[in-house]
Amino acid sequence: MAAPVRGMAGSPSIGNTTSFQKKTRSKLVSIPGTRPSVQNGQLLVSSGVSSLDYVIGGGLAVGTLLLVEEDCYDSYSRMLLKYFLAEGVVCGHELFLASARDHPDEIMQELPSPIVDDVAGMKISEGQSQPSDPENPDTMKIAWRYQNQPRVQTALASSVRFGHYYDVSKTMEPELRQAAKCHSFYQLQETPVTTGSSPLPSPYHALLKSIQTVIRKEGFDGSTPQSKVRNVLRLGLHSLGSVLWGDDVCCKVNPAHCHALTTFLYALRGLLRTSLSVAMVTVPSHLIQNRAIMGRIIRLSDTAIALESFRGSEKETNPLYKDYHGLLHVCQLPRLNCLSSEVPDTKDLAFKLKRKQFTIERLHLPPDLSETVSRVSKAELAAGCGSTAMGNKHLDF
Amino acid sequence: MLLDVMQAGGGFILLEGNIISGEDVHVLGFESPETQVCAGLDSSSVQRLHFHKGFPDPLGWTCRSSFTVERFTSQHITQLIKDTQHAQASVLVVDSLSMVLRHHDPVVFCQTLQELRNGGVIKTIIGLLHSDLHQQGIVGIVCHLAGTVISVAPADNERLSVAKTTRRTKSGKVMQEEEYFSVSEDAALSVQAKPRQPGHVQRERDVSEADPTSNLTFNLRLSEDERKAKEKVALPFVFSQQKKSALLRPTPGSGRIVYEPDANDDFDEEDPDDDLDV
Repeated sequence: MAAPVRGMAGSPSIGNTTSFQKKTRSKLVSIPGTRPSVQNGQLLVSSGVSSLDYVIGGGLAVGTLLLVEEDCYDSYSRMLLKYFLAEGVVCGHELFLASARDHPDEIMQELPSPIVDDVAGMKISEGQSQPSDPENPDTMKIAWRYQNQPRVQTALASSVRFGHYYDVSKTMEPELRQAAKCHSFYQLQETPVTTGSSPLPSPYHALLKSIQTVIRKEGFDGSTPQSKVRNVLRLGLHSLGSVLWGDDVCCKVNPAHCHALTTFLYALRGLLRTSLSVAMVTVPSHLIQNRAIMGRIIRLSDTAIALESFRGSEKETNPLYKDYHGLLHVCQLPRLNCLSSEVPDTKDLAFKLKRKQFTIERLHLPPDLSETVSRVSKAELAAGCGSTAMGNKHLDF
Repeated sequence: MLLDVMQAGGGFILLEGNIISGEDVHVLGFESPETQVCAGLDSSSVQRLHFHKGFPDPLGWTCRSSFTVERFTSQHITQLIKDTQHAQASVLVVDSLSMVLRHHDPVVFCQTLQELRNGGVIKTIIGLLHSDLHQQGIVGIVCHLAGTVISVAPADNERLSVAKTTRRTKSGKVMQEEEYFSVSEDAALSVQAKPRQPGHVQRERDVSEADPTSNLTFNLRLSEDERKAKEKVALPFVFSQQKKSALLRPTPGSGRIVYEPDANDDFDEEDPDDDLDV
């Protein structure tokens, strides 16, 4: 990818077998809230959810696009967007929020408040040994030697403290929120611009123009020499592709503007690559009728995840899923300046929104300890091959 | 701003609840006549109900209706509501949205609904949508826009119909309910709890949970004395509490090998065979 070096610091090779040295850190800009990736040296920002950072390879690389496929009722994808923006506020980044349905100010007012004390430190020590005491109801009678072994570590988290934790039940204080600079774009309030030669329909064109103006004016692409400290721009685009953006990709199999959203994403990614910005886009993929368009949309973004909530589906009553709120599918991970990307070691991920954390865990089958399972099958076998057809359960020897 | 969409194979909307709560109701009737909708309402309620006649001429071919389908835009509707005396806390009922969707572009239609919702003049929009008349995509986008969706379908029992309500709140919580209801002759709605279904899955589950130790020729149960004796049996590796906690104390390195050097390990570099007489 022949992109300017600013957003992504390239490093020639990281393999252990070569004697090349990694490029020195002095090339990387030191912006608050970012850190270089341990895998390929990219500059990463946190997405606001530390489990999600772990799943997508440490964080979101600056200059990339994260696509979130919404769940049916848009509850968890909206939550992820709010986490993303809240992380921007806490780290001091600039924000750009575009929405067609709810006013961006309403979304900003719903941002969760950050938890100040060190929750991550407590989480790491939870898995370690707990001192056994006689009144502890967890002491085992026969297998007591295994009492202090750490339980199966299902929560995914990296040991380095990078992101922040948020309390969903409280909203962020207005002072903290107003300290961050936020640009907003509300589709309903924009005056329709006649786009004679543009291939994009009017709302996407206006949105793209607005993003371009912000990037240029605030100097994220290096066009205006910034005297102050460099900063990262976080773009949150809510529910692109829905009908309220003027796009009919959700209602028809062969939409009139079938290339509108894909053109927009292509242009947006170009803008992101040439500036210090990160974008998170949510798309109501369950409404998009044409799967080919959805495939193109995924290919045009860098990181793509899909949320599948159990609400309202038959999976809600499945006992396997009773601890979780939905499944998380990682559809695509980017290969930035390298040949292969780090994939998470498991594809079965489930998420749960707790009050203080949005956890993404490995979905593993619990041991099948139910006693009725084997009994029922044995009884059926006995009835099947036994001589008595009357269902007599007497076991006679 | 609530937007209710009812999907139905037929049936009409009952307005009594809204009128009783003191709100102005504007009905855009494209599919049913005024008499049918207002049947059963008393005179004070009828005053608060403003019926805009679209039936039987919704497209305005014979110029007999006061409101045609083409006029379903946010400016026209807002004007219509402001023309009545009190223009606050209005409820807009559209019968039906299917008629409007057939003559308007779905994108423009949804944008109109969004503008009406945010306009401030209308508090709630209730619309009836016949889901079998549209493609799945169009039904999907209208339901996605709605805050509450009530799906009506006939139940197994002919007398009752089932209504599935899905409500979405601003905070992202989703609540779902299923209710059985029936409509009587004088348009009274009676909601019932879920009727018991004969011979279904729950019965089978009860059968499989019968006690398996009951009908055997040998005894698998324990009496009280036997249980006490069982608990008194000394297990082989049961230690006292002090020894347990001593063994459980976390050692600095688990898997540490303790080895005292053997006589054979005394290896002399300069005399490997140990036969020099020095």
